[in-house]
Amino acid sequence: MAVPVSVYLLFLAPTAALLVSFFFLRPYKPGWTHLPILASCAVVSGSAIDLAAKVYTGWSLDQTMGLWMAAGNWSVSFGVRIDGLSSAVLAMVAVVGALIHVYAAGYMKEDPAFPRFFLSFHLFYLSMIGMLVSNNFVQFYLFWEGVGLCSFLLIGFWTHKPAARAASLQAFVTNRVGDFAFLVAIFILLKTYGDTSFGRVFELMAYGGGPLLALVGLLLFVAAASKSAQFPLYFWLPDAMEGPTPVSALMHAATMVTAGIFLLARAWPLVAFVPGLPHLIAAVGGGTAVFAGLLACGQTDLKRILAYSTVSHLGLMALALGLGRVGIAVLHLIMHGFFKAVLFLCAGNIAHGLGKSAADISETGGLRKSMPLTMACFTAGALSLAGFWPTAGFFSKDGIIEAALEAGPGWLAMALAAAALGGFYISRMLFLAFFGPSPEQKPGRCHEAPACMAVPVGFLALAALTAGGLSHGIGALLGIGRLSSEESLALAHFSWPVFGLGTSAAVAGLGLAWFATMARPSFDWTWRRRLPWLQALVASDFGWRKVVALVASACWGLAEWIGGFLDHRTWDGLIEGSVPASVALGGTLSLKSGRLGDYLWWILTGTAVLLAAVLL
Amino acid sequence: MTPAVQVGLALFGLGLAAVALRGRLLAMLLGLELMIAGVTVILTYQAGVFGDPAGLAAVVLIIAVAAAEAVVGLCLILRLHHAGLSGEASSLSELRE
Repeated sequence: MAVPVSVYLLFLAPTAALLVSFFFLRPYKPGWTHLPILASCAVVSGSAIDLAAKVYTGWSLDQTMGLWMAAGNWSVSFGVRIDGLSSAVLAMVAVVGALIHVYAAGYMKEDPAFPRFFLSFHLFYLSMIGMLVSNNFVQFYLFWEGVGLCSFLLIGFWTHKPAARAASLQAFVTNRVGDFAFLVAIFILLKTYGDTSFGRVFELMAYGGGPLLALVGLLLFVAAASKSAQFPLYFWLPDAMEGPTPVSALMHAATMVTAGIFLLARAWPLVAFVPGLPHLIAAVGGGTAVFAGLLACGQTDLKRILAYSTVSHLGLMALALGLGRVGIAVLHLIMHGFFKAVLFLCAGNIAHGLGKSAADISETGGLRKSMPLTMACFTAGALSLAGFWPTAGFFSKDGIIEAALEAGPGWLAMALAAAALGGFYISRMLFLAFFGPSPEQKPGRCHEAPACMAVPVGFLALAALTAGGLSHGIGALLGIGRLSSEESLALAHFSWPVFGLGTSAAVAGLGLAWFATMARPSFDWTWRRRLPWLQALVASDFGWRKVVALVASACWGLAEWIGGFLDHRTWDGLIEGSVPASVALGGTLSLKSGRLGDYLWWILTGTAVLLAAVLL
Repeated sequence: MTPAVQVGLALFGLGLAAVALRGRLLAMLLGLELMIAGVTVILTYQAGVFGDPAGLAAVVLIIAVAAAEAVVGLCLILRLHHAGLSGEASSLSELRE
């Protein structure tokens, strides 16, 4: 089967751009570092759209490009898999990522470490692209780790901020938990099947895998939960807001957090094969959606509101996925990418306009006059997030509500609660940031973003409004070259009861937000003062952060014990003690005469003994 | 044992004796060269017997290494001479302690 040029370009263009930028532009022309990278983004986006169009016509590819490593009876090859699932997500990631690159070129222009930022940023993008088109678990894991590494580099990009350093370390370590689970899962698969390509594993799985296969499914879910910020391991994502805003946008919309959901969608035949696992995923997802939605309502930092909202939406994706509706989960992943990118970039515009790295709702307000374009784009993203017809968010959120409605009242309650909370927190943010009174702010201090930042935001806002029109096409795309069953990939059909439920939940949230912010402008500040215990509860994520801190300090203590006692005293003592021991031995045997000839005789004796041992 | 192997072993033994028994560094270096020559003789012969060019390739490599080794060795001896030390191996015992 011939591999189209577009597939090679997906890898070659970013690699070439990174090499040129790193070796030539970074040292000699740092201000130009982004130029080849932006060109590479254009090439990758073109290739991704070309591939999606090819797949739409019924073509798909699962091609081994070459042997990567092999030993004994197992082997790992390097290959690409372009099917409906990967091409649909790839097109979204490539286009949204490219627009965020353009935005970042404007946002980070003044930063002294501009080249370092852009190189890490593009490596992030490359890792995600490589992950999406992998055709086996090991290759997937390689790029998965690449994504984790780049997130570490970028969250802690402003190394002079202690909070950023701590957040990047926290994100990395939390992700290691999932990485370890993923690694163990891969080892089990290699041991059991000797092959890790998705197609082969899912084929061989039908002949049985026993209890180990259930373990693999569970481990994959742990991996996905850490990367996609599901309940026990979600806390790194809100803290990751310490990075520059384009990083947050890229992480939330396109590259990082969607990886876990994508892994589960990719491995869906395996996950569905394990009894009870899908329901566990749905329960964790639904719980996370409501939990994070509640927390988002109490945040004051613009980016933190959006971060908790991402956790909530990832929970909704996991809910749909766990209920067996992979197609809907992937559709929501794509739609979420569009509207979350707009929202983050608008928050970035506000921060940039204020000349700060982050903005709080107490510093904003009444921005509709000074930043009309940002307000229009933010409104588009907010409507889409809340799921109003006919925006992009409506199509996927309705699907989730329909899936929950079919599954039972408990699931429906979770989905509707998450939808209503979504309507509330995003409208609250909209009202507090753009409407209402502007607190002690001189008019004209906050300015609209420059063109190179405004244009990508505008395009993304357009996508957040209209991408719903693509949902039918995406539904058709997902069925091509599929590994999962056809019914799991089916999208929702429009139905009035679901429309009524979803829209009324969003309207309820919106109305409540209007009541809490516009009708009573001081409400958001007074409840914090009157109910300090509630404020403390929100600040500690309902106490979960304390549990995490406890576990983390226990792990830290264990690591100190291993490093201090086991390694430093015991093992190092053994190694360091061997030197005086051998010196003392040499002294007693008086072998060190210092004469060359004596040593030669010892060499000869040793050689003779060895020769005798070999020959006799 | 063919004559070629005998010659090779004899050269190797002579060289070994020179290295082990002689005290002068120059003589020891010559002994090393003799040992290497002995090995190359055997290798060349066996390469012919088995018709394997890899043996000859190894010989060429050994000659190159031996040349380098002679250069380095002679340089060291010259440096010792310049430093006013005798050419005896027993004079080099500073690292004992």
